Amino acid sequence: MDDDVLLRMRGIVKEFPGVRALDGVDLDVTAGRVHCLLGQNGAGKSTLIKVLAGAHAPDTGTLSWQGEEVRFSSPSSAIHRGIATIYQELDLVPGLSVADNLYLGHENASAGFVRRAAQGEAAQEVLKKLGHPEIPVSREVGRLSAAQQQIVSLARALARDARLIVMDEPSAVLAHDEVANLFRVIRDLVAEGVAVVYISHRLEEIRQIGDEVTVLKDGRTLASGLPAAGTPTQQLVSLMTGRPVEYLFPSRPRRTGSAKALLDVENLSLEGKFESVSLSVAPGEIVGIAGLVGAGRSEVLETIYGARRRTSGAVTMGGRALPAGSVRAAVRAGMGLAPEERKSQALLLGEPIVRNVSLASLPRMTKVVPGWLDRRREKATAQEATGELEVRPGDVTRTVRTLSGGNQQKVVLARWLLGDTRLLLLDEPTRGVDVGARSEIYAVIRRLADQGMGVLLVSSEVPEVLGLADRVLVMREGRVVHTAPAGELDEHRVLDLVMEGIVG
Amino acid sequence: MTESLVAGSPNPLSHRLFARPEIGATAAAGVILVFFLAAAPAFRSGGSFFTVLYQSSTIGIVAIGVGLLMIGGEFDLSAGVIVTTAGLANSMFCWWFGIDLWVGALLSLAFCLFIGFVNGYLVMRTGIPSFLITLGTFFVLQGANLGLTKVVTGSVTSPDISRMDGYPLLEGVFASNFDAGGVTVWGTVLWWLGFTALAAWVLQRTRTGNWVFAIGGSADSARAVGVPVVRTKIGLFMTVSFLGWFVGMHTLYRFNTLQAGNGVGNEFLYIIAAVVGGTLLTGGYGNAIGVGIGAFIFGTTSLGIVYAGWDPNWFKAFLGVMLLLAVLVNLYVKSLATSTRLLRDSPGKADDA
Repeated sequence: MDDDVLLRMRGIVKEFPGVRALDGVDLDVTAGRVHCLLGQNGAGKSTLIKVLAGAHAPDTGTLSWQGEEVRFSSPSSAIHRGIATIYQELDLVPGLSVADNLYLGHENASAGFVRRAAQGEAAQEVLKKLGHPEIPVSREVGRLSAAQQQIVSLARALARDARLIVMDEPSAVLAHDEVANLFRVIRDLVAEGVAVVYISHRLEEIRQIGDEVTVLKDGRTLASGLPAAGTPTQQLVSLMTGRPVEYLFPSRPRRTGSAKALLDVENLSLEGKFESVSLSVAPGEIVGIAGLVGAGRSEVLETIYGARRRTSGAVTMGGRALPAGSVRAAVRAGMGLAPEERKSQALLLGEPIVRNVSLASLPRMTKVVPGWLDRRREKATAQEATGELEVRPGDVTRTVRTLSGGNQQKVVLARWLLGDTRLLLLDEPTRGVDVGARSEIYAVIRRLADQGMGVLLVSSEVPEVLGLADRVLVMREGRVVHTAPAGELDEHRVLDLVMEGIVG
Repeated sequence: MTESLVAGSPNPLSHRLFARPEIGATAAAGVILVFFLAAAPAFRSGGSFFTVLYQSSTIGIVAIGVGLLMIGGEFDLSAGVIVTTAGLANSMFCWWFGIDLWVGALLSLAFCLFIGFVNGYLVMRTGIPSFLITLGTFFVLQGANLGLTKVVTGSVTSPDISRMDGYPLLEGVFASNFDAGGVTVWGTVLWWLGFTALAAWVLQRTRTGNWVFAIGGSADSARAVGVPVVRTKIGLFMTVSFLGWFVGMHTLYRFNTLQAGNGVGNEFLYIIAAVVGGTLLTGGYGNAIGVGIGAFIFGTTSLGIVYAGWDPNWFKAFLGVMLLLAVLVNLYVKSLATSTRLLRDSPGKADDA
């Protein structure tokens, strides 16, 4: 059996500033089998794939390919060995034809001239294999529909005669019937002796297509060689969730439940992202939305906030209906958003804390002359707000870039404290915040709620939603599948819901 | 999702036509040509048409390189002065050392390619935007052109080369003209058409052409699938400096002497020709024929104004308007080309706008 091991990874460690993304991963991939990687967000799956594809060099650890130790210095060296990777986020080249995209980097060319006809035929063949012979191979990719582009990016990996194909959540971007198609292709490939590493959050897919499962957690291999079809869901879920660090969540105050809703969302829809989401948030209440990446959670927040224009539905804030697609109206009504991409969407990294805090309430910082800022008042108010949230260091003239993730998040929260914010929308508030600082963020959020603020929270980390929120909505594929008080749910139950959609 | 696949497939001819990068430029060129034919009687002759083509070629040759580079996602602001640098290097080197002009021309070529290489190498190595790197090169060359010429000749004019060894042959290559049925045709026009055809061919038919589109459209993806991004980009910078050298040779052998301060400002004309011709400023889109038409619009306008008897000082204002119109047309064409897709994607996606 040992001869069939195509790829063997031993003790792979990869560190980034502040994070140990991989902490000694072992992985064996056998030819002719579908190997599934399972793990929660942040378990290290993406980093592992990048090491495999040659995009990251591991700090320590060994990689052997067909029994021979190798080092991939660049993506092309991995490609030449026969490893093809379908990344989730990599786009096609819009200005090139379908065929040119499929063979980019390994063109069928003689003396630099592309053999158009041969390449076109080969591309046609690949698309036919994928069940889409109708996609014109000579058309520019930029002029294909979004669905067709997804097929083409899949075809791109198949166009190489790869020995090992890595698929990073391919089903997340595919329509439902395309997934069945993909599985048929995977089975064909495996029958030809190709190895597939398949990453997915969806357990039902793994059961359907996988041969064996490796579970990653906190950058380590927790279990490997588990039979994909035979391992009980319970066992997989508890492997994924078994948590070494217990977070401290603030205690919930007893709620009377009679408070009038602050935010009312009725049948909110955004075409292609989510459908008829209804929810309400009362003053002092923390409502959490749990679900997988791509389930539409962030989009719900952004649509409520007006950053995306809703297709239908109504958003009412404090009794007033909000117009679609107007962030300005939402902020005026008292909403504040702390987005997931804190560094690019919320903070001016090169500016001092004080500027970042005062940003949303500058009109209140003006002196007698309109437009003239009262810097002293700006500083004093910022000092007060950051002091209340215990931002460290306490010096508000420090550049935000130099702060830790947790303190950066507090700066974003402080910004909304200054204004007349009555509802906070938090998207992954502890992303990039180290474990120790999380409890502090949790405490701050709870304290804000206790002061009467409503909070709508989105997080991929199920324990976070369960521990912090009063009420939890579970989303799956753009729909709310379950709503319950946090106390009535546990992590297993939520994971069952988000992964398999089992209700009851 | 399935019906969207079907809906995307039939693409009416009008859409396909309007999605060509050069279609806006071709229409504009037609309108401008007709306009000046109507407004300026002197414009209506074979002779003036070929003068227009000549004028277009002096901008168009370098613009091809600049256009390719822009498709590849980079800028070169030093493309204007390198033309003068090439000519000065050739003439002064030969004059100083008394060697054959052929040797000087080749040394000048090597020097220009080296500058192109340095531009590309610095951009790739440091990650500093090419706009800044080549802005630096631009000023260095501009100053060096003037300073060195002053040192060598004592003035800002290069020595006359018409009586030096090798002159007749080089003049024949770079600055000849011939008579075709009563009108003067400059050789550069043929070179221009040739280079345009070559660039169009490379872009459409060769592996390198695919790489150029890929590195401009999505450099990370290109790298991930094994495209030699660094090599291709440096090659594009060197292409620009090669074409700059070529036009520099033409200018030198046509006028025999050069003003050391010339060429400044032309880098923008190249960029305008490329953008008017449908090249996307952000890379990944465009073609060589479009750039050629952009240069033709430049030639028509600059001479049309003269033939119409207007104050030529207005020329730049006209060019500016052309540029803005071209950008608007490109934007419209691009949205038309992708409209079917955008409509189907979530319509309210504010972050995609």
